[in-house]
Amino acid sequence: MSEKKRIYLQPVPVRIWHWINAFGIITLILTGAQIRFPESVTIFPSYKSAIEVHNVAGLTVAISFSFWFFYYKMVRNTLDKLYIPDEEDLKHGLLRQLLYYCFWYFLGKPSPYHATPDHKFNPMQKSAYLAVMFVLMPLVGLTGILLLNVTPLRVLILMWGGIKIIVALHFLLACSLLAFLCTHVYLATLGKTPLAYIKPMVTGWEDVEEHEEKEPEAPATRPAYRPVRHYPEYAQMQQQEQRNNG
Amino acid sequence: MSLTLIACVCLLATGQSGAWGFSYGDQAERNEACLACHGDAREMAAGSFINRKQFTQTTHSIIGCQACHGAVMPSHPDGGKVPRAECRDCHLEVNEEYAAGLHAAKTGCSGCHNPHVVESPKEISGQEINQICSACHNALEMTAKHGEWLPQSELHLRMLPCITCHTGSKEYFISMYIVKSKDGSRFGKQEVAGYDELKRLAAGREIVSLIDTNRDNYVSLEELRIFNRTQKSLRLHGMMTPGTVSHKFEILDNRRNCTFCHTSGSAAMQTSFIAMPEENGTFKRVAVEKGAVLDALYGTPDFYMMGSTKSTRLNGIGLAIICGGLIMPVGHGFLRFLTRKNRKGKEHQS
Repeated sequence: MSEKKRIYLQPVPVRIWHWINAFGIITLILTGAQIRFPESVTIFPSYKSAIEVHNVAGLTVAISFSFWFFYYKMVRNTLDKLYIPDEEDLKHGLLRQLLYYCFWYFLGKPSPYHATPDHKFNPMQKSAYLAVMFVLMPLVGLTGILLLNVTPLRVLILMWGGIKIIVALHFLLACSLLAFLCTHVYLATLGKTPLAYIKPMVTGWEDVEEHEEKEPEAPATRPAYRPVRHYPEYAQMQQQEQRNNG
Repeated sequence: MSLTLIACVCLLATGQSGAWGFSYGDQAERNEACLACHGDAREMAAGSFINRKQFTQTTHSIIGCQACHGAVMPSHPDGGKVPRAECRDCHLEVNEEYAAGLHAAKTGCSGCHNPHVVESPKEISGQEINQICSACHNALEMTAKHGEWLPQSELHLRMLPCITCHTGSKEYFISMYIVKSKDGSRFGKQEVAGYDELKRLAAGREIVSLIDTNRDNYVSLEELRIFNRTQKSLRLHGMMTPGTVSHKFEILDNRRNCTFCHTSGSAAMQTSFIAMPEENGTFKRVAVEKGAVLDALYGTPDFYMMGSTKSTRLNGIGLAIICGGLIMPVGHGFLRFLTRKNRKGKEHQS
């Protein structure tokens, strides 16, 4: 038997940041495409307007990124816990999640991981976000700032090897972000309904299904994910919990 | 060639030297009679001094001093005014073209061209072309004025000859020139490298060998890459320069459309030269392999024009990365669709 429960997963600052980021990055991709391929992409009325919108969107995303970092690192102090995979994630979690996406999902099995406010991301999400938020985003932002200020930041550009290297990095990083965006949007539709994972990023609340045999509070030794019945760890955890209770 | 010039050449050819007031030998010697005094910077005022090295490289030196200053009296220098020919006597078409432009009301030919130093854009570095303009147009003022509509105006004005936008010139190419940091460090303020400096760095060899290592008077892409990877203090800057210059100065609306320059497929991006300084103060043009500025990284690491010099190889890598990101939505999505029945009941429970 199971009952429905709601958890407050995405606080207001995170939701605001997420959607600013989302619209900003989509704008950057569209304008960036016109800037690089003006002969075939003409979304904006002029090349200059595409550059101006690209610059504004880039600065907005860079500022928004800084707020995101400040919020998670300084205000919530959960940045490391949320984004850096732990030992269990690396040993078992990544493989388990990969198997789920590639195999168990198609058989109709539930995800081995359920998000909680303190553990929002599954091991694969953690790894992907770690690369995106700590490598791709800072680098694409930094190279963008250099390209926006070629004359004043001339020395920094020379230190990187020249403007063409900066441009190449900026372009390839942007392509990587677009590739991530495609996967990110698709995976966001893998909930019980296509909008189940998207809804919390709008309302903040996620509907979760509580199983009667599951402990509401996880012991400290329990891994971040919440195993469900068809996974081998489930029986071990049940025994451990019975011993603790007994 | 105008009638005056033909007359001058005919007079020289028939040896009617008395018409000039001097008894000249061959043309170089005739010029030397003038340069003996006018080529000495210590004796002459700045306005009358003629740089011998530069003048002897010009077409004007071939026709000789007297072609323009024919009626100099034998008593010269006697304080009297020295006659000078009008540029239009020979350059009538250019003169008419110039007269139709914005500059005509401001200055004449000599406002931009010293007739004793004239060079074509192919023979000087692009940066030097702008130095002519900045004699009247204050650089800071121009940067601020262009900045009202032109993004990164300081960069544009520094890396683009004014005549590229302000004349209806044709047949653009990329003119590259060597710059060197003032203090010799890698990141110091850069200026056009002079002949003496490059000669010293070339250790006695021809300075072109700094880039053109096999000295075939042609710089291949590989030679360009090696130069850019190995040189610490020398770098190559580039400018989109017109080959056929119009003298009608104007403000052209189509130059305000960024895609005039920032569009790929332009023939201008296929042709490039390196302006190598010569001992006489001029520049020698060395051809560069076709399409070198389109190389991904080390062909011209300091020359990039958005939209124009993008590398097709990088575009391919970028496309491969994006396709990698589509594997999940397309591949997984397809399998998801095929196996939708396995999840149907469970989805309805939620």
